[in-house]
Amino acid sequence: MINKDLGIDFLGVHFENPFCLSSSPVGNCYEMCAKAFDEGWGGVVFKTIGPEHFKVDEVSPRFDELTKEGTPFVGFKNMEQIAEHSLQENLDDLTHLKRDYPTKIVIASIMGTNEQDWVDLAKAVTDAGADMIEMNLSCPQMTSHEMGSDVGTNPELVKKYCAAVKRGSDLPMMAKMTPNITDMVPAAKAALAGGADGIATINTVKSISNLDLDKKVALPIVNGKGSISGFSGKAVKPIALRFIQQLRVAAGLEQLPISGIGGIETWEDAVEFILLGSTTLQVTTGVMQYGYRIVEDMKNGLMHYMEEQGVDHLADLVGLANKNVLPAEDLDRDYKVYPKIDWDKCIGCGRCFVSCFDGAHQAITWDEKTRRPSVDYSKCVGCQLCNLVCPVGAISTGKVEMKPGRQGNIEDVDIESVRLTH
Amino acid sequence: MTNDYTHEKSGYTMTTVAEEAARCLLCHDAPCSKACPADTDPAKFIRSVRFRNVKGAAETIRENNALGAICARVCPTEKYCELACSRSGIDVPIDIGGIQRYVTDFEQQADMKILEKAPANGLKIAIVGSGPAGLQSATTLLEKGYAVDIFEKNTKPGGYLTYGIPEYRLPQNIVDYEIKRITDLGANLHLNTAIGRDITMDQLKADYDSVILAVGASEAKMLPMFDGNAYTETAVDFLARVKDAQGQIDDVPENAVVIGGGDVAMDVATTLKRLGTKNVTDMAYEEFDEFRASKKELAGTREAGVTLVDGYVPTAIDGNQVTFKHRNIDAEMTIKADKIILAIGQAVNTDQLGITTEHGEVSFIGYRTEDPKVYVTGDIAHGDKTVVWAVRKGKEVAEEIDNALMGGNRK
Repeated sequence: MINKDLGIDFLGVHFENPFCLSSSPVGNCYEMCAKAFDEGWGGVVFKTIGPEHFKVDEVSPRFDELTKEGTPFVGFKNMEQIAEHSLQENLDDLTHLKRDYPTKIVIASIMGTNEQDWVDLAKAVTDAGADMIEMNLSCPQMTSHEMGSDVGTNPELVKKYCAAVKRGSDLPMMAKMTPNITDMVPAAKAALAGGADGIATINTVKSISNLDLDKKVALPIVNGKGSISGFSGKAVKPIALRFIQQLRVAAGLEQLPISGIGGIETWEDAVEFILLGSTTLQVTTGVMQYGYRIVEDMKNGLMHYMEEQGVDHLADLVGLANKNVLPAEDLDRDYKVYPKIDWDKCIGCGRCFVSCFDGAHQAITWDEKTRRPSVDYSKCVGCQLCNLVCPVGAISTGKVEMKPGRQGNIEDVDIESVRLTH
Repeated sequence: MTNDYTHEKSGYTMTTVAEEAARCLLCHDAPCSKACPADTDPAKFIRSVRFRNVKGAAETIRENNALGAICARVCPTEKYCELACSRSGIDVPIDIGGIQRYVTDFEQQADMKILEKAPANGLKIAIVGSGPAGLQSATTLLEKGYAVDIFEKNTKPGGYLTYGIPEYRLPQNIVDYEIKRITDLGANLHLNTAIGRDITMDQLKADYDSVILAVGASEAKMLPMFDGNAYTETAVDFLARVKDAQGQIDDVPENAVVIGGGDVAMDVATTLKRLGTKNVTDMAYEEFDEFRASKKELAGTREAGVTLVDGYVPTAIDGNQVTFKHRNIDAEMTIKADKIILAIGQAVNTDQLGITTEHGEVSFIGYRTEDPKVYVTGDIAHGDKTVVWAVRKGKEVAEEIDNALMGGNRK
């Protein structure tokens, strides 16, 4: 069995591996976090602790899922709010977790309704023994507008509350951002200005996942009505990666410490977040579907990836891909890449023909007798839609051609990718 | 027609294996894993495939089973892991063997070196027989730090894997690759070396700290009435001859009768069809509801176009004409064939080994003989006679030797 050191430092705290539970139902009490530690997670962000005066009152049912063809949980919608246990119960759990798992990292997620709440909560979780604080500025389903994502979209409030937390605690602190905002940079900068040491992102995306077509109500139905609430899981990964990239390339934020969140369930997802600048990783939806055990393959797969890459320290991978994401206007537009059809692999389903004719540029022709497609290069624009829809990998990238009048050497053009070349 | 004999069915691609793994319900208590005689953990390696960690899946398989790529192909999964599969409650069980084959093929293509030899502990073990049980015990012992010498009377290692299972089910290059992993780990193979002819048991006992007898049931059984019949050949001889020639034999019969109802009979009948024999009739003693052959093998034989007749026993032979009578009803059949192949079981030869067997097995349960230096494993030890059971017995005998030799020295 491969064994590599997955240890990494984040905000001055050492994690034995970067995998943490994110603040959510999966880390709701001592027993859950203890089991997660036993199964190999490096840290937990304990479910958000609110002030004693805010009474959590949940709806039932509270979840929905987005599916596609036979695949469940493509995305997940939840309406659950912060921890429902009493403040004292939550603080006791933090203390006991740290006592019983001294090498694991216990992160307290907190959420106040006003400045004093933030100071008091920060002090309370520090006294309870937490290693780090995460400010929940981003939950999209709170029943109070003084809490959650309505706060996270307001840089002034973000700065003020971050400063309040720093007054209450000297622990390292990360501010958890909402994606329900056009540009995350001002909010992140406001958090840093207020004293935050790093950023956790993203929280869930405001959503309506599905409707009941007969009742005309958004799901889940709560006594005949639905509500907008947070969406998570694999479907939000592209959104999370985009925000993380934008933070890491913003002027002054190039070294921003980030805890990445949003649809991580495999080691490959984890690597993507790391390559775009995340140092630690947080997971909820994958755990809700499959349990804590998913960490085994995330860790093992990450070790094999490090081995393949010749990397001994995980930190050496952080942010390696940021420089390869350019503004669209800066991309090379001088050439196009035609598809290549492997006749031995082609099973004659015609999916490429259908997609190209109806969804691209009608560049694939269809021989009804042989039931085989072929490419009409005079029409092909090189979009590679056919490549993506082929169910057997019979289409890959083929000839590369400079556009008329453009300069450049096609030999130097780099278009290879695992997905398109199979 | 030899292409038919050497052609193994295509395996999964990355896309199709992901689809199959996604069908797995990732059960909480994984009944498939509990049902594997060799303790392979399908729940874990399928989950690894589901989470795109194919290298981790290969580790799970290989660290448990030195013959993982072989078992993926020949294990009667319908009787073990797939019988227990919860997915059966929805439609059909997960194709666990197929997923295992994808993973071990990937392991081979990626040239992964998963098995690790422990630092030498100064002790030496001799293993007689290089079939699956001998190979697995060698691996487990090497992983514990023992030096291992394997003595094989044949010219090639692998026992029934090499000489018995047809190429289309188990390509020889897979067997060779699995054995290479074990010799790379440090096992010394002594081919063409028979006990009693080239080296004695006494010599082995003097030279080694323990001796494992893993000789298998390699000799064909013969019914007296067929003895000396010019048209008759045993399944063992026939399968070995065909595999050695990779299907290029020059006496493919036009018509053949196979006698037997086990997996070996099915292999013979299907092999004949793949070689081009027009009419193959398999006559089985058992009736279908008591058949010994696995359902997969039986289905494959039917698919190949073999005529299967159940409940008949041979009562007379006259040249190439065999007469059969039904066991329970008043019925008789006479068949003329160019070739008659007997697949009625195999026997154990323990001459010169200093042990006795009855019905092919030693009389005691476990692995340690009366001689404290000598152990048995594989077919001659108590238990099932499948490859997966050989793997289990190989691991268990190695553990028993380790306990005896290292005693309290190992934590």
